[in-house]
Amino acid sequence: MRERKGELFLIAGFTGLVATLFLAFNWVPSVNINAFESPEAQRIFYWHVPAAWAAFISFSVLFAGSAMWLFKRNEFGWKLHIAGSEAGLACGLIAVWSGCIWGAAEWGTPWDWQDYRLNSFALLTLLALFLVLGRRSQPDGVESRDTFATFGFYGFVLVPFTYLVTRIWVIRHPGPIIAGDDASSISLEMRLAFYVGVISFTLMVIGHIITSVQITRFEQRIDRLQGIIDGE
Amino acid sequence: MAEPVLELSNVTVRRGMGVVLRNFSLTVNAGDCVVLYGENGVGKSTVIETAARLLPLEEGAVKHNGRLVFDAEGRRVNPLNPFGLTLQANCLVPSQTIQQQLDNVIAICGKSYDYSSVLERYNIGNRRNDKIAHLSGGQQRKVAVICGLIPGMVSHENSLILLDEPDSGLDDASVEVLIEQIHQLRNLGHGIVIASHDKRMRECATSLHNLSETQHQEPNYSKPWKVSATEKSYPLLRTKIGWNLNFNTLVSIQRNWLSALLVMGCLLSIADPLTLSDNKSILMGFALAPAFTMGLVGDPVFKILNEQRAVDWWRAQNSIIPNSYLESMASGIIFTAIAMQIFNQSMDYRVILIGGLITLTTSYIVRFLQMSTVRLPRNNAVFIRLLTPVLILPWGLVVDYCASL
Repeated sequence: MRERKGELFLIAGFTGLVATLFLAFNWVPSVNINAFESPEAQRIFYWHVPAAWAAFISFSVLFAGSAMWLFKRNEFGWKLHIAGSEAGLACGLIAVWSGCIWGAAEWGTPWDWQDYRLNSFALLTLLALFLVLGRRSQPDGVESRDTFATFGFYGFVLVPFTYLVTRIWVIRHPGPIIAGDDASSISLEMRLAFYVGVISFTLMVIGHIITSVQITRFEQRIDRLQGIIDGE
Repeated sequence: MAEPVLELSNVTVRRGMGVVLRNFSLTVNAGDCVVLYGENGVGKSTVIETAARLLPLEEGAVKHNGRLVFDAEGRRVNPLNPFGLTLQANCLVPSQTIQQQLDNVIAICGKSYDYSSVLERYNIGNRRNDKIAHLSGGQQRKVAVICGLIPGMVSHENSLILLDEPDSGLDDASVEVLIEQIHQLRNLGHGIVIASHDKRMRECATSLHNLSETQHQEPNYSKPWKVSATEKSYPLLRTKIGWNLNFNTLVSIQRNWLSALLVMGCLLSIADPLTLSDNKSILMGFALAPAFTMGLVGDPVFKILNEQRAVDWWRAQNSIIPNSYLESMASGIIFTAIAMQIFNQSMDYRVILIGGLITLTTSYIVRFLQMSTVRLPRNNAVFIRLLTPVLILPWGLVVDYCASL
């Protein structure tokens, strides 16, 4: 049962994500049609914001894992680094992609190269992509672990920047939803669907991290056994 | 008592997933020659590269001539004197001639020296003006070995010389010359560390070290090397070397200029500047796009130095490696001026200067990103350029600013 914990979280998370989609498209009322160019596109927000939230959790895990590896040479830290970067990439891509769809409908353009929030979040996602692809391109070793952990560690500075940027500068991207000032303006149904999305994405990220840590442990065990077979 | 030129104090070094050196200590005094021997993978090259400050330390410290140059706490100080270094890879720049390569090494030492006789002894005097890429593998190795010996050949002060398998690929006559010169440099008072499988190299040794035991012996050669070099100062050395590398190889034209021309061509193919004359922001973006592109392509000198791990040789010698900042700035100015003329039909010197700064800054950031992955075993395969889109936002802001001028 302990070995299946990650899968259970993943199943719960995915079920919640499907439920969020259902609620977003069939149950939640539409937003004020006068306030938006494309009110129906606003429904993508029930995936977009929770995905961004889950990405921030993943990047926090990446930061913690990178720090554990860099300062303590902790094997579990390295496994967290791997899990955090993979989860951050998946959630980051969902957030960026859904944001592009919404931007195309609402702003008339999928991307704004001069918006601080969009660019800093995209950079976080690219950082995760760099870590995932880069790790695959290198043999496992202290040199590659140190390098990627350094990027994971210092890259975390983008997380508070990305969150705070809409408060500091008036930009095209809407202000913060989580811990923002205007949460009360959202109706109860909207809030409910939103929280189902947040919980689902969080469960999915937790499930992925547990599963990824297990997979990495198995991979390392196979490498050790391979080494024994090769007489190293 | 002779002064130590190299001290490795309780160093622990990891490579790959294994600890190669654990609490390893080694002291090399002036006039010592330590020959490291042993099976593959025992850690000979790791000792050389650790002494050269190329591998991070888990524990311990490295001192050159009594001065701490590197430790596990992250302190990294450049040695006061350049040291001789020949790594397993040749670390040469293939597009340079032998003369250009050796001139750079001598310049780093702050000396002037006629090395013709050294080239003659290795039988490559007639190839002096040939590009390294045109030499055979053995001849290239000879140049790499001479690069490692020169800091000792030009200095009376007790220097460190690190040679990793210097005999590899050399013919018998050259190995004999090498052994003789190592004797002479040791007798001059330099401290030498050699990693080698070749038993002939062991006759140079005052100590034979297999990384667990040391045997002392007395070499039978007493003649010292005669130093004939004179002092010479080289201001702005790294910028000049970068400029020469660029000039000799024309790599910035091949990579950066060509990219800028392609971008200008593409922009011209999709838009007629005359029809866009009312949209100043877009026209300014067109004018500054070539400068930005040249920066994104990266520092051409870094590309050259990365070809045969030459960047490692420079990293070991000094934290600052040759650059092409001057060329970047000049290229940015030239191409912004051309693009301004094509797209804006005007010449605003402020925008042209900003174009130069865009190329310089972008090139610097890309180089910084590349340098941060240089330790990786396959640093050319890593996806570091995935992070460069972050530069688009500041570039866009600069374009808006220039449009408002």
